[in-house]
Amino acid sequence: MALALENVSKHFGSLVAIRNLSLSFDVGSIYSIIGPNGAGKSTVVNMIAGSYSVTSGAIRLGATALNRLPKHRIAQLGVSRTYQNLRLFDGMTVLENLEVCFFPQSWLTFLTGAKRLSKAERLEICHACLAEFHLSDVADVLAGDLPYGRQKILELARAFVTQAPIVLLDEPAAGLNHTETKDMAAMIAGLKREDRAIILVEHDMEMVMSISDRIDVLNYGELLCSGTPDLVRTNERVQEAYLGTTEELDDIRKLAQSRRAQGGLRANAGIVRH
Amino acid sequence: MGNSVIVRRLGLLAVLALCVVLLALVPHLPSYYVRVVDSILIYIILAVGLNLVVGYAGLLDLGFIAFYAVGAYAYALLASGQFDIHLPFIVILFIGAAAGAIAGVLLGFPVLKLRGDYLAIVTLSFGEIIRIAINNADDLTNGPQGIAGLDRASLFGLPLTTPVHFYWLLLVLAITVCGGVYYMERSILGKAWRALREDQDVVRGLGINTTTLKLLAFALSAAIGGAGGVIFGAFQRFVSPESFTFQESLLVVLIIIIGGVGNIVGVIAGAVVLVVLPEVLHFAAQYRLLIYGVVLVTVIVLRPGGLVSPRFNLGFIIRKVRTLWLSPSKT
Ligand SMILES: Nc1ncnc2c1ncn2[C@@H]1O[C@H](COP(=O)(O)OP(=O)(O)OP(=O)(O)O)[C@@H](O)[C@H]1O
Ligand SMILES: [Mg+2]
Repeated sequence: MALALENVSKHFGSLVAIRNLSLSFDVGSIYSIIGPNGAGKSTVVNMIAGSYSVTSGAIRLGATALNRLPKHRIAQLGVSRTYQNLRLFDGMTVLENLEVCFFPQSWLTFLTGAKRLSKAERLEICHACLAEFHLSDVADVLAGDLPYGRQKILELARAFVTQAPIVLLDEPAAGLNHTETKDMAAMIAGLKREDRAIILVEHDMEMVMSISDRIDVLNYGELLCSGTPDLVRTNERVQEAYLGTTEELDDIRKLAQSRRAQGGLRANAGIVRH
Repeated sequence: MGNSVIVRRLGLLAVLALCVVLLALVPHLPSYYVRVVDSILIYIILAVGLNLVVGYAGLLDLGFIAFYAVGAYAYALLASGQFDIHLPFIVILFIGAAAGAIAGVLLGFPVLKLRGDYLAIVTLSFGEIIRIAINNADDLTNGPQGIAGLDRASLFGLPLTTPVHFYWLLLVLAITVCGGVYYMERSILGKAWRALREDQDVVRGLGINTTTLKLLAFALSAAIGGAGGVIFGAFQRFVSPESFTFQESLLVVLIIIIGGVGNIVGVIAGAVVLVVLPEVLHFAAQYRLLIYGVVLVTVIVLRPGGLVSPRFNLGFIIRKVRTLWLSPSKT
């Protein structure tokens, strides 16, 4: 299954967040979208997931046009996601956060029980997923009580538990410390599969360079360059516009650091609450 | 097996026995007290029903009494001389629940996009519209005079006339409703509702149609309200729009808030407190609303989560009883 953006633009009033963007993603690979603050990365994710409408252009999953479909239909077709700012169900347990993903998707399945997972099947899948993401020990803890790093992992688990073919990850490492970021990178790399496309938005260059099959560089809503990590690293336009001057490079580093610091604070807050 | 376990089990049995004895004693109380208990049970049923929408789905509905009115008028129209229709009580019970559910969906559709204050205002108006419509539909409902002389109800050949009869009926229905709602709360549906309450947008992102999820909450809750209304009609054998004012909706919401939102045990406690309170203070009847206000403010200041802690819920009690019975070593 392939996901394609065809000449997609997104305007917020007079602001052009995305201009004429065409990209395609196929299962079996990890794609990274990078670019400076405000480049439009999250906007792309939000348009694919149906949180934002597109101003013009089309988004297709296989033969189906996703834009104009309601958000829950898009999710049902196999697009799942995480959010740049954590959005877990804080008052529910870790296990319940996964279980709720298996709510029957139509009235018919709900009433007849056809094609519907039994409770035992559902729990088995969720427990297996918790084990895979090293969360088994906190299955019955409220999601909001977890330390920040594990909340990030739980959100990741929630995006993968239904085996969606298209998974959008918006800054999964934001706010994580160096070790946690490395673990996160390894975890995501391990989630690569033949029947799944992972689309990653991330500021941590080490992570992006090490696990991506293709990197798409956005700048002011336009595609600057697209290719393998090596290609992007050496591409002149990227060098110029994005990594070019040391000043800008510093900016990006600072940003990554500040996100880490924020996360540190949040992580501490999580521990205090615990 | 240690002595302490036996003691604790005996204690548990004693508590259970006490509950059963208390419930069995009610019919022998003077009629006034039986009526109060009946009233408590009715409000438990209503509040547990409304709690589906307010407590689980997180949608503040201030027009709940409209569904109660629909049920009551279903009985009044289908079991009286009004149109000379005399259906059996049990049939009307189901018709009333279905009519309530339909009304719930009718209310649900237009308000689905609303949340918070706006939702509260629209549902409040809905409750008033239903009451005023009943008040003005003279040909159908006799307007403000109401419909009197409703049929004496009977159930499977047993008469349903005295407060004691209704006590048994309401008790069975209250237990059924509490049990059913508890089951729903624990099912995947209940989890989806709780998730909806926390972050509606994320729920949609999980592939769940939040519109149907909310409609379902409205419909089920309204069906319970409708069934309650049928019993009310059969009990009073008289209905008039006066019984379905905004104050009644407010009372049901207060029961939930004071008892503990989303908690069946809390809702039961809230119903007991708010029904008994005005009875105890009946010498100050004209201050009823004032008293509610003071109680509400006091509870909110002292126990913002309601009288009953969210942890002390039906699930907790059932778990406690079960572990004590099956594997007492763990307790
Ligand atoms: N809902 C919105 N309403 C108005 N403007 C928006 C909205 N969402 C995004 N924008 C604007 O669109 C542009 C792109 O934003 P976007 O969030 O996609 O950036 P990003 O690349 O994800 O940045 P970051 O690295 O900070 O997450 C920004 O200028 C932003 O202010
Ligand atoms: Mg972003």
